[in-house]
Amino acid sequence: MPIRLLPPNLVNQIAAGEVVERPASAVKELVENAIDAGATRIDITLNDGGRALIVVTDNGCGMTPQELTVAVDRHATSKLPSDDLTEIGWLGFRGEALPAIGSVARLSITSRTPDADAGWHMMVAGGRKDGPVPAPHPRGTRIEVRDLFFATPARLKFLKGAGTELSYAIDNVERLAMAYPEIAFTLTADGRSRLNLPAGGTQGDLFDIHLERLSAILGREFAANSVPVAAEREGIRLYGYAGLPTFNRGNAFAQYLFVNGRPVRDRVLTGAVRAAYADFLAASRHPYVVLFLEVPRTDVDVNVHPAKAEVRFRDASLVRGLIIGALRHALAEAGHRASTTTGAAALAALRPYLNTAPPQGALDMAYTMQAPMVDGTGEGLAESAPVSMYDLPQSAPEGAAPEAYPTDGAVQPLGVARAQLHETYIVAQTADGIVIVDQHAAHERLVYERMKAALADGGVKRQMLLIPEVVELDEASAQRLVGRAAELAELGLLVEAFGPGAIAVREVPAMLGDGDVSGLVRDLANDLSAVDEALSLKDRLADVSGTMACHGAIRAGRRLNGAEMNALLRQMESTPHAGQCNHGRPTYVELKLKDIERLFGRR
Amino acid sequence: MWLRPLAKKGPFWGSDPNSRMKLVIERAALLKSLGHVQSVVERRNTIPILSNVRIDAHKGSLALNATDMDIEIVESTAAEVGKGGATTAPAHTLYDIVRKLPDGSQVELVATGDGGQIALSAGRSKFTLSCLPVEDFPAMAGGDFSHSFKLGAADLRGLIDRTRFAISTEETRYYLNGIYLHGTKSEGVDVLRAVATDGHRLARVELPLPDGAAGMPGIIVPRKAVLEVRKLIDETEDEIAISLSDSKIKFAFDNVVLTSKLIDGTFPDYERVIPTGNDKVLEADRKLLHDAVDRVSAISSEKSRSIKIACEKGLLTLSASSPEAGSATEEIEASYAAGHLEIGFNSRYLLEILGQIEGDAARFTMADAASPTVIRDVADASAVYVLMPMRV
Repeated sequence: MPIRLLPPNLVNQIAAGEVVERPASAVKELVENAIDAGATRIDITLNDGGRALIVVTDNGCGMTPQELTVAVDRHATSKLPSDDLTEIGWLGFRGEALPAIGSVARLSITSRTPDADAGWHMMVAGGRKDGPVPAPHPRGTRIEVRDLFFATPARLKFLKGAGTELSYAIDNVERLAMAYPEIAFTLTADGRSRLNLPAGGTQGDLFDIHLERLSAILGREFAANSVPVAAEREGIRLYGYAGLPTFNRGNAFAQYLFVNGRPVRDRVLTGAVRAAYADFLAASRHPYVVLFLEVPRTDVDVNVHPAKAEVRFRDASLVRGLIIGALRHALAEAGHRASTTTGAAALAALRPYLNTAPPQGALDMAYTMQAPMVDGTGEGLAESAPVSMYDLPQSAPEGAAPEAYPTDGAVQPLGVARAQLHETYIVAQTADGIVIVDQHAAHERLVYERMKAALADGGVKRQMLLIPEVVELDEASAQRLVGRAAELAELGLLVEAFGPGAIAVREVPAMLGDGDVSGLVRDLANDLSAVDEALSLKDRLADVSGTMACHGAIRAGRRLNGAEMNALLRQMESTPHAGQCNHGRPTYVELKLKDIERLFGRR
Repeated sequence: MWLRPLAKKGPFWGSDPNSRMKLVIERAALLKSLGHVQSVVERRNTIPILSNVRIDAHKGSLALNATDMDIEIVESTAAEVGKGGATTAPAHTLYDIVRKLPDGSQVELVATGDGGQIALSAGRSKFTLSCLPVEDFPAMAGGDFSHSFKLGAADLRGLIDRTRFAISTEETRYYLNGIYLHGTKSEGVDVLRAVATDGHRLARVELPLPDGAAGMPGIIVPRKAVLEVRKLIDETEDEIAISLSDSKIKFAFDNVVLTSKLIDGTFPDYERVIPTGNDKVLEADRKLLHDAVDRVSAISSEKSRSIKIACEKGLLTLSASSPEAGSATEEIEASYAAGHLEIGFNSRYLLEILGQIEGDAARFTMADAASPTVIRDVADASAVYVLMPMRV
């Protein structure tokens, strides 16, 4: 068969294969159009997971009848005013969405511009245009997509169940809604309201309305357990919220990254988030993160992915550095804060007698919080006899009312140690509650932080190798490693190119001893290709430091006197990241007085 | 060995027609042999028979044999054998029992039934251990040894002691997990050389080439075999008969024969990393330097325990610092005439090497802070140590 040009309808269907992968992507394209149209309210209706019907209604700028006819043609857009692909100021720019949807579904558009008397209606079904004809419509645009993929039955077969498709669609809308808190969003599926996000208040700064929107989507816990992130470097601005390490989850779904208001999944960004949290979370736990990156349009290429889910940065390492730096800074500011969910989980564990439901989500979100073990006989409490060894100057004599929390001195968020239970847990009284500290976990973290500071101070000592280790790799991996040689040298690993597909290791971090160098190098090569971060090396250094910290830390079972306990609390307050151990478990749990009162039915 | 006459004689002796093996041995003799062979048996085994020791009684002698499939130790000792035969019994249990028997007791071993059990009795203690068929016990395949020679026990001890600390434990570089033994020429003299390295430091010790070793292949004796042999020859003053091929080595002395497989790999070209052009020579009192390094390194808290040595004319300044603990310096006199040099070392490596030197003085020859340093015993040219500096 001779080579021929494909008919436009087939071309559109092929394009639809990339752009409109499933109902959720159609929803995303249409909502993005609505946002680009300057809408302040966007209503979405889905039936049967979007397969039967998708309706997106906005109150944006609308389209004139002339525009309507062109809009459904391929590569028609109003969003590239200057014929310059580096100047992309809107979410869309390709002019592919409407014709693509029109080629695989029954599309009908009704639109009215603010200064027109009436709206116009236009239909496209399986690529055939019909209209425009006048039709009544308020200001804005309403797009109806019926029977998606009716023209491409193969695609229809590959869709998942209605519930799954719906959740994809909701996820896409949520992501966009996070980036545009000033726009009201509603989503109704099969008659049930699934999202109702009112427009953010016009007063208040950007952080406030963002946080309001984020907690509406991610839950109230997010607002209570996150810290604001803000940084700016060389024209790139980063803001958003970082979840506390103790507020973590088992998968990376709760990491939302936006570049110029566009939700993306980029390995540079996810790698940077992992690197920033590497110290605080076990490899299998993932933080909650919402980050907005504002990059000059000329420094980012959004035209690399049909669904625009990926972007390319002109200077990826600058972006990576900015994110890691900002997240670390924000987490350091958070200091010793542990998430409130741990307290909620502790309360929930105490509460079964009251037969009340635990706070929503607290149980599954707090990372395997262990309720304090009390052996059935209650002997443990008697044995530990904390009062007898209690020689704090500020401690009250027995029988007297406990001394009030010292309000005159400096603020002591972790309070004053009152007792040690089971030679393992320190109980402290704070201004408005109590704090229970796991002494080993807390001290381990303190020692670890000290060692880390020392490491950062003195640099990683390097043992030179008598016999350089030559590691064979594929060419790309070898190049990546050599490209990052300076950074690796700072971590104690000196590598250099050794022919095209191999590298020679000349110096290794002395603290790793006589370790498996080639295994480490291979892991590093994988890290660099997957997340663009030398995680393995940092992990191993952290492992050694962590093990040494564990040996250097006071054990559970060691009896502490009052002065020692208070010293530990004060150190925790002044040490960054003291709220979690090296694996993201909390080092202490705080119970507010009002929660305790509630336990006893006093509130 | 003097054996007391057997107390129990008469009707019991040889009355059981099914018994295959029967012997009596003095506890101390059995304990010594068992102690030698059982150490090669791994504590945990996936192959049950490897947990057992083979017991072979034949014409006035008892042979014990244990193996982990890589190393085999056979030791024979005199015993009063009533009836010859062979079986296998759990090595660690048997050793444990014999160890706890009172000193001077006579131990009787009798295989019972069809060899499924062995009865051990001494005085009024009786034990029954289950056995595994002797036919299942793996025999190290025979094969020929191409070269045989003899080494004095003290020589072999010196060879092992001064190199084994440098053996690598990193299993991905398996070819470094042993001592490389080969014949070569050193300054026109034929020598037998032992070399070990872990990539950070290297030890090379040589002896005059013994008769029969000429033309021997270069072999890598695995770490475990080295350690076992070293334990076995600790007390002996005999000559050790060594036989080897390119896949096996055999050490025989007294009544013990240890056979080990060799590491099948290529030892790196170590001569390349021993520098010959180092011109900065330092001579220091070994003990003085060792103790100073030991003291100064107490300050470094980190695992690497790095120390710095600043060499001036006639004076060494050792220093270490740790952001946590503080810092330490110590000066010692030494003969050094070259220009100022500051060089860092892992103090553990340095102490291990200084620990091998028996003479009073150690000689360091250095080029710069980033090149290998050669360390020797001033009084003994047979050993050379090479240490790679640290960047501090």
